[in-house]
Amino acid sequence: MAAAMKFAKSHEWARPEEGGLVTVGISSYAVEALTDLVFMQLPDVGRRVKAGESLGEIESVKAVSDIYAPVSGEVVEVNTALPSALETLGRDPYGAGWIVRLRPDDPAEMSALLDQAAYDAVVKSQPH
Amino acid sequence: MNLHVWWDRPADGPWNMAADELLAAESTVRDACCVRVYGWRGTSVSLGGFQSVAAARAERSIAGVPLVRRPSGGGAIVHGSDLTYAAAVPKSHPWGGSPRLLYDALHGAMRLALADHGVVAALWTPDVAGAAARHDDPFFCFDRRSSGDLVLPADADHGGDAKIMGSAQRRLAAAVMQHGSLLLERNRGVPGEASHPGLRELTRNRLSPADARPLAERWLRVVADSLAMKLVAEEGPFAPEALVRERARRFADCRWTGRR
Repeated sequence: MAAAMKFAKSHEWARPEEGGLVTVGISSYAVEALTDLVFMQLPDVGRRVKAGESLGEIESVKAVSDIYAPVSGEVVEVNTALPSALETLGRDPYGAGWIVRLRPDDPAEMSALLDQAAYDAVVKSQPH
Repeated sequence: MNLHVWWDRPADGPWNMAADELLAAESTVRDACCVRVYGWRGTSVSLGGFQSVAAARAERSIAGVPLVRRPSGGGAIVHGSDLTYAAAVPKSHPWGGSPRLLYDALHGAMRLALADHGVVAALWTPDVAGAAARHDDPFFCFDRRSSGDLVLPADADHGGDAKIMGSAQRRLAAAVMQHGSLLLERNRGVPGEASHPGLRELTRNRLSPADARPLAERWLRVVADSLAMKLVAEEGPFAPEALVRERARRFADCRWTGRR
C-alpha cells in the first residue's frame, strides 16, 4: 500500500497520483462491514464535489451507504467496470477496486485526512 | 443510555420518509437510539433505494397505489397492513458498526416479543453455503430472504417458511437509520402476488392487528433491556412540522422517485 494513502473517517481512501490527481476508493474494512454488495451508483465525469459530499451510493443486502468525497474537486475519471464487478472491491480495494479519480481543488485538503495509523485506530474503535 | 420512542400517527409516504431522515439526525443530537413506530395513510408502496421505478410501474398488482422511494435498501413493501418502524443510532453506538448489529438486535428482540405472545418465529439463515443477494432478487421484500429475516415456519396452508419482518438500512455519515416492517395481516388493498400472509393468517388469528401496539411495546422493552437502556416514550415531536413538510417535498418529487 502506498505510504501517501490517506483515509477519511467515513472509510474512503485517497491516494495522490502523478499529475496532481487523487484516486479514491473505500477501505477493506468498509467492504467487509457491508458484506454482499449488490449495486453501486457512480458519479458522472465532470461533476464537482466538496469534501464530505456524497460521490455515489453502494447497496449491500441490508444497507444503502453513501460514498463520500474525501477532498473537494472535479470527477475526472470513473471506474465504470466496477458496478458490474463488485467482487473487485473485496479482492483488491486499494487497486482495481478504485472508484473515481478527482482533480482536487486544494491539494492541501489531503493533510486533513488520516494517515494509516490514525485510520487503523478509528477502525479499532468501531463497534463490532 | 436511552431508547427514545415516538408513536406517530399514520402519514403518507413522503412525510414518513422525511420524518425518518430527521429521526436519524435526532439520534446524533441525542447520542442515543431513537425509534419511530408508525402507520400509513391508506395502502402505499415503498420502493427500495436501489430499485427501478420502471420495475415498480410494471408490477400490475400495485398499479395506482401511491409510491415512495425509501432512502434505505431492500425490496418493495406494500404498507397499510403492517407495523412500520424507523430506528436510528449514531455510528458510535454499540449497534452503529456493521449492518448486522442493528438488524440482528431488532429482529432478535421481535422474535422474543413474539414468543411472549405465544408465536414461535425464527431468524432466517441461508441453507446453501455462500447464498448471497443477487441483482435479480424478487421485487417485493416479503418474497426475498436474507440472513436475519424473521420467518414463521412452514405450514400446510402457506407452503414454505413465511417472512413476517424485514428491514434495511441507510448508512449516513454520522448515523445509521433502519427501516423495518412487521406484516400484521394480508393487505386487501392489493391483489395476488403483492399481498403476503401476515401474522393474522400465519398464526390462525392468534395475533391480529389489534395486538400490534402491545406487541410493539414488548418488542421495544426487549430492545431496551438488551443494552440496559432506559425506555423513554416521547410525547412531543422530534422535529417541527414545517421542517418535516419541507423535507417531504424531496420525497414527493418525481426526480427522487424516478432516480433509478
